[in-house]
Amino acid sequence: MTIAQPLAPSGETVVEIAGLSKRFGSAVLAVDDLSFTVERGQVVGLLGPNGAGKTTCLRMLLGLIRPTAGEAKLFGTTVRPGSRELFRVGALIESAAFVPHLSGMQNLRMWWEEGGAKWRDADLDAALAIADLGDAIDRKVKTYSQGMRQRLGLARVLLGRPEILVLDEPTNGLDPQEMREVRQLVRRVADAGATVLFSSHVLAEVEQTCTHAVVMDRGRFVAGGSVASLIGTSGSVYLDVSDVDAAERLLATFPNVTSVTRESPGLVLELEDHGSRAALVKALVDAGIGVDTVMLRRRLEDAFLGLVEDWRS
Amino acid sequence: MIPLLRVELVKALKRMRTYVIFLIVIGIPVIMTIAVHANPPGAPGRGESGRAGGLFYLATNTGLVMPAAALRLMSGFLLVIIVAVFGGDAVAGEATWGNLRYLLMRPISRGRLLGTKFLVALLCAWIATVLVVLAGFVAGVIAFGYHDLNVPGLIFSSYSQSAGTLVGHLGIATAYVAWSLSAVVAFSFLFSVLTDAPTGAVFAGVGLYITSTILDAIDSVPSGIRNILPTHYFDSWVDMFTQNHVSTDMWKGAGITLAYVVVFVGAAAWHFRRKDILS
Repeated sequence: MTIAQPLAPSGETVVEIAGLSKRFGSAVLAVDDLSFTVERGQVVGLLGPNGAGKTTCLRMLLGLIRPTAGEAKLFGTTVRPGSRELFRVGALIESAAFVPHLSGMQNLRMWWEEGGAKWRDADLDAALAIADLGDAIDRKVKTYSQGMRQRLGLARVLLGRPEILVLDEPTNGLDPQEMREVRQLVRRVADAGATVLFSSHVLAEVEQTCTHAVVMDRGRFVAGGSVASLIGTSGSVYLDVSDVDAAERLLATFPNVTSVTRESPGLVLELEDHGSRAALVKALVDAGIGVDTVMLRRRLEDAFLGLVEDWRS
Repeated sequence: MIPLLRVELVKALKRMRTYVIFLIVIGIPVIMTIAVHANPPGAPGRGESGRAGGLFYLATNTGLVMPAAALRLMSGFLLVIIVAVFGGDAVAGEATWGNLRYLLMRPISRGRLLGTKFLVALLCAWIATVLVVLAGFVAGVIAFGYHDLNVPGLIFSSYSQSAGTLVGHLGIATAYVAWSLSAVVAFSFLFSVLTDAPTGAVFAGVGLYITSTILDAIDSVPSGIRNILPTHYFDSWVDMFTQNHVSTDMWKGAGITLAYVVVFVGAAAWHFRRKDILS
């Protein structure tokens, strides 16, 4: 069993995945000895290609699937079906789903009460603000659009003022406007102090929204850590400068620049670390070379593909 | 349990389909009564008195037998399908909506949820059975009156039953049929947990009934097996109306049904507690 690697060394561990495995039937190993932890206040993206085992992992964390081996812990307690700790979690797994012949409001209330909680304890105002359904909240859910359902699903997630949000591909099937709203919502909830764990294969989304990320592939842990550190491992920078020849000569003299290549109309630098970008730009400007663009080339997508490829080979 | 039961009941009773089903089980006995009133059947021949036709003949004598005739005809097939729908949809329907995972990621025990769902399915099935009898009762009394049964020489000799006895027999018959159908509900319910497809689970319940009826009709099947089939004593209540005889077979039937319900629901609970929720 792998020792769980904290994504950041300090803080209270709220989610602990330890040596978690799930085998379906005799052949398919959906999750394979997966370990990572999530600290309070982090916004963690669970990244991986389709079929990487993200959903299976999150379902085990919520007590929906029994692990074949290992444990998924919430607040230090191993999760089982019906665990009390689930009160402190709000989750959206795959699409939001409801009882179609009941209204949005009835669905919220029944789901809440069925869990054994009192309706007056629900954070209905916050939920309704998120759902933003107006009078449609009293219409049957089967008349809702996909976006309306997803908003109602997020509203249901927030009813219990959750300490952890578990969201499985929350922007799937939404239009760009709705996607942005969901991302903003995640940020707002995180800013209010909640921990967020969400899976996605939209890398830009993780990059924009998350503080930390776990990359997995074929059920296994590939890499984890802060988004900056995942992007930052041996990055490359694209520069647009006024005098390419002069810049090329100058930059080659810097010890942390491992290579300089021309990529019309500018230059691409391979750097050992990112801290020196400002120094490079300053040196160029001091030498009378104009700098138009400094662009980090190694986005999470490259990092992610690189990590998965490295890991597979 | 109580809030859970209330929510599950509301889910079932706010559904259009439930009312369509209730409307059907009310409508058919009414139509039967109108048909029998318009064109009364003749006395049945020897050995035919136990069939629905015999009951319809008695029903022309007093409206109090009409509900029994309706129950006999409906429990032979339509009620079986209806109660299988209630049992088969209970869990698989929720899985098909995708709502099951949202219920089960809450801090509620799976066993309690399952128990509540079964109870609601049973209640709906029993309500459907009672509605058949009530509709037959109202229509029968309007068409043929509320009075004693007096038939001259039906089988061997003249035959009578007081109105009070008939009403008592109706009560027993309703409870007995509702309970006997519970085995079908339980079997559909088991498949509702095993699969995520409600239609499959409904077919399972109907299939159990049909298979049991067929096996029961084959004389070469050993009686030891036939006697424990879930449908073997299914119609033993009819004697109350055709022969004024409360058969002890009903106790056997009720006991066998109990055994089936316990086994099917127990198996469903065993599986559900371990089930990976992938829907």
